[in-house]
Amino acid sequence: MVNKDVPAKPLIIWLGTNTCAGDMLSLLNAKDPGYQELISSIAELRFDYLLGASEGSDAINVLDDLQKNHKAAYILVVEGSIPTRSNGLYSVIGYRNGKAWTALQAVRELGAEARYVVAAGTCAAFGGIYAAAPNPSKCVSLQAVLDRKVINVPGCPINPEWMMGTLNHLIQYGEPALDDYSRPKLFYGETIHNLCQRRDYFDNSIFAAKPGEPWCMYKIGCKGPVTYADCPVRQWNGEHLSWPVKANTPCIGCASPEFSDGNVPFFEHLPDVKLPGIKVTANRVGLWTGVVTALGIGAHLMGSILTGRLAETLKKDLPGGSKLKIRPRLKKGHK
Amino acid sequence: MNWKKQRHSGTVRLLHWVYAPAVLALIFSGLYIHSPSRAFGFKRMDSARKTHAVAQFLLLNSYLARICYGIKDKNYKEIIPNRKTLKAIPEFLKYEFFLSEKKTKYPKYNPGQKILITSLAGLIPVQMITGMTLYFKPLQRAVKAAGGLNPVRWLHYLAALMMVSFISVHLYFTLTNSLKKLKSIFTGYA
Repeated sequence: MVNKDVPAKPLIIWLGTNTCAGDMLSLLNAKDPGYQELISSIAELRFDYLLGASEGSDAINVLDDLQKNHKAAYILVVEGSIPTRSNGLYSVIGYRNGKAWTALQAVRELGAEARYVVAAGTCAAFGGIYAAAPNPSKCVSLQAVLDRKVINVPGCPINPEWMMGTLNHLIQYGEPALDDYSRPKLFYGETIHNLCQRRDYFDNSIFAAKPGEPWCMYKIGCKGPVTYADCPVRQWNGEHLSWPVKANTPCIGCASPEFSDGNVPFFEHLPDVKLPGIKVTANRVGLWTGVVTALGIGAHLMGSILTGRLAETLKKDLPGGSKLKIRPRLKKGHK
Repeated sequence: MNWKKQRHSGTVRLLHWVYAPAVLALIFSGLYIHSPSRAFGFKRMDSARKTHAVAQFLLLNSYLARICYGIKDKNYKEIIPNRKTLKAIPEFLKYEFFLSEKKTKYPKYNPGQKILITSLAGLIPVQMITGMTLYFKPLQRAVKAAGGLNPVRWLHYLAALMMVSFISVHLYFTLTNSLKKLKSIFTGYA
């Protein structure tokens, strides 16, 4: 006889906050194990904001039950960033006792009782696109509203195997080794650049001038050198078919903590400088630094020549310099 | 005997001639890595990266050695600006902007040189930390506050631009201010 209070399989809550649903849809493409295997033999997906058949109080009651009766027994997966403006009213999970239950409240309450908390996708892990300027709903990452450890599985969207692998690791072996951004080193241990199939082109300076060319994408803003993820070897679509650079487009660094504000423009090597009313490219900053330096040095050199200071230096310091004639008129004129 | 006063000791000169070419190599290889163009003297990214890697360790070691020597010999006092230096800035600027003809004599370095050398000495650790972070993942913690590696890349680039600018100014004044002092970085004596 099976005891209903003690679940036979680990429980998972998959909560959607401010999200495009891309991460859940990506997970459905998982293979070995696939989604079907996850819900039939690995774990019990008790709540899923996207695929759940129930709605309204029936769905919310499931969360209530998990929070009250299965403390420290479930894994909370949150997809999407958490809006904090107006006490979180920009994302409402459902209604509790007739009142709106915001994503902010839900992740805090459910997160406090969860065994593990996992942020699925860059929005949940680092704020992502929803937290991009001007960020009207004041979205933040999951970690910013929880005072417990969050395991970040970023990506826009996540590679299905990053999430499937993390969940399986949590269930079978516990917490995986994490990096400084709390990402599993299993999947985010090396830069895309170092794993890239086109690395030889980079080393030999064979660069694509525009997207669509089959060469290294570095010169058109590839963020592979500053992005830790195993896309080049794992590849995408469940069948390990392709990934952005293989499809002749630069990596946009979607698994990075600075995505997306810190990575735009995507097709430029460095982000623009944004000051109130001004937006300048990195190359222009370099150019202007050079121009200002050259003008400063040029003006001083001109002044030194016209006032006779340079000639004086040469006369004083050069061997036989005393024979040099200083232009007294110009020197006199400067007082 | 005609004893001349030594301006730069052998150690200072040796270290200067290790880190000066290392910085120049870092600037040119770094600019190539930023935007690959043959104008920076490299044909392949691989050679630019190798140059950058070797030069960074030369700079790191010579910089640390210079700091140690500066502390041991207490010659850092000649370089780091103090209150006296700050007070002397207006007069120094007046002369450099051709508003005064009175050229003040300073013990070794003028206020401009002190600020320039100290700024360069301050920028080098920034480059070391940002550069090493871009190279070694375990060091990312040191720059986590910057918000990610792409902002760190920006910081590295901006500090490099400032170094290029400061070094250009340093070279200009070295070549035009006093040829005897210029000679002293080779021979030790002015």
